[in-house]
Amino acid sequence: MATIKFKDVTKSFDNGKVTVIPRLSLDIKDKEFVVLVGPSGCGKSTTLRMIAGLEGVSSGELYIDEKKVNDVPPKDRDIAMVFQSYALYPHMTVYKNMAFALKLKKIPKEEIDKKVMWAAKILDIEPYLDRKPKALSGGQRQRVALGRAMVRNPKVFLLDEPLSNLDAKLRTEMRSQITMLHKKLQTTFVYVTHDQTEAMTMADRIVVMDKGVIQQYDTPQKLYNEPANMFVAGFIGSPQMNFIDSTVIRSGKDIKISFSEYELDVPKSKKQALESYIGKDIIIGIRPEHILSDSTPDKEKGSCILNVTADLAEMTGNETNVYFDLNGQKYIARIKTERKISSGDSVKLYIDENTVHFFDKDSTAAI
Amino acid sequence: MKAKNLARNIVIYALLLTAAVIFLAPIAIILINSVKGNFYISDAPFSLPDKDTFVGIQNFIKGFTQSDFMKSFATSAFITTASVLGIVIMTSMTAWYIVRVKNRFTKVLYYLFVFSMIVPFQMVMYTMTYYAFELHLNNPVGIIFIYLGFGSGLSVFMFTGFIKSIPAEIEEAAVIDGCSPIKTFFLVIFPILKPTAITVAILNAMWIWNDYLLPYLVLGSGENKTLPVAVQMALTGGYGNKDMGALMAMLVLTILPIIIFYLFCQKYIIKGVVAGAVKG
Repeated sequence: MATIKFKDVTKSFDNGKVTVIPRLSLDIKDKEFVVLVGPSGCGKSTTLRMIAGLEGVSSGELYIDEKKVNDVPPKDRDIAMVFQSYALYPHMTVYKNMAFALKLKKIPKEEIDKKVMWAAKILDIEPYLDRKPKALSGGQRQRVALGRAMVRNPKVFLLDEPLSNLDAKLRTEMRSQITMLHKKLQTTFVYVTHDQTEAMTMADRIVVMDKGVIQQYDTPQKLYNEPANMFVAGFIGSPQMNFIDSTVIRSGKDIKISFSEYELDVPKSKKQALESYIGKDIIIGIRPEHILSDSTPDKEKGSCILNVTADLAEMTGNETNVYFDLNGQKYIARIKTERKISSGDSVKLYIDENTVHFFDKDSTAAI
Repeated sequence: MKAKNLARNIVIYALLLTAAVIFLAPIAIILINSVKGNFYISDAPFSLPDKDTFVGIQNFIKGFTQSDFMKSFATSAFITTASVLGIVIMTSMTAWYIVRVKNRFTKVLYYLFVFSMIVPFQMVMYTMTYYAFELHLNNPVGIIFIYLGFGSGLSVFMFTGFIKSIPAEIEEAAVIDGCSPIKTFFLVIFPILKPTAITVAILNAMWIWNDYLLPYLVLGSGENKTLPVAVQMALTGGYGNKDMGALMAMLVLTILPIIIFYLFCQKYIIKGVVAGAVKG
């Protein structure tokens, strides 16, 4: 159980020639499940490796449990790490893999046995304790890797894309197992992934990173409902948010958003902020799932109606992804499958202005 | 098609069988003659022992007692064991360093090791002998260092190939678990290297045990002579003056340890040679 604090931390490689983390300040609370998410090369794994001590800090200060750990070797940081490739010792049995760290600490045999059996029971790997890693499936290996971390009873759990090598079904299963494990162990978890679904479903708070810079650090709900900028808005949510080039215009006493041949009302909460943008170009963001079809009950329908042709309709079960075109730009709507929509059909789509996000075109920040 | 395949197989088997006979014949001749009386060896070297020619283990007893065979055997065993242990441990460590520490120095180091593989022994043997004497390496302990030098090229090359296939994450896991670099090497890396280590050990053991020229140049034919030199000494002299039976027995005893060692470890040879080619 511990807090983690990054204070103006930078990380560069090749004698400062390549800067991966320009300046990072981050506070992780005790017992929190924090997910670092972002595209490849955004610095999320480097951040995790700095906590582990596998990478040094170029400048700034890093604290674990309020103790500065810049120069503390990994073994003395009281952390445990689960790797993407499991990193199990291939020549040792599952039991020996799990007991290895405790053995190095010269912990009595009976205590090691107790701890290994406790972790094996929780993770349901008791029948495999005498097997070598090569005789296990991917999911079993990952559970052993988790067990190896658990037996050490660390202050901080670090997980580096632990589910990336598993198939989709197993990934969903392991996702809930890890969440339950966090609840059971009541320890600080820092989890790295590029999968936003994992981030949204598991995290107490999510750190969205891009090019070594934190774009937003908040709860999954806040990231989804109030993204700080276009990067976060585009990264969180699947399918990705639609971004439409628009202009803020005055219409009588009111202000409206004009795009293509359509006009959209501005929600009351945004009127004041958008006043200064009248006559200027902005970008509006609409999540595919917020676009409604004519089969949705009237009261939920939005004020702006788009008459479009479905270029492609993908039925995914209870929802259909409808791809359409506005001024040569491709967009997507995810609508409830209440009536069958086929490719080439004319469709009426409704946009509720209260679900629309507004972004500054230059800074890409949310308005 | 079937007939064509059959014909091809017959040719292949015939060729392989001939090769096997050519390679095994000298060993068979030594084995057969080691239990035959002295006269019969020169009279009919290819005939199998019968009730007249068979002398049991008499030749072996003579081989032991008439020459200083046991002393040479011990010298060879000491030099081979110590050299192979040294080569396996030191070159695996070197290879680990070369793979994990990537800089100009390790790159040059690697190419030097690879280059040393293609330099023929004859090219360096005179200077090597000179310096072996200058540095007082002309004794059973000193020659171990020379073997370490000659054996390191191929060994580093083989270990490097395998270590490249070991994910660095395993070492990082060991570091987090509390291993120092030495512990990481001996508790995690070296056990993973076992198939390659055994292959390197077999190849070096066979070469060092059978080597004639290097020990002859460095240790000479005096009291520190190794087995191949001792056998050659026993052969020297006019034909007929020598006890051929005892000599054959000596030869059998010379090749026996390395054959036994090879048979015990042979399953690892292929494993070790292909290891690293495909990530397991």
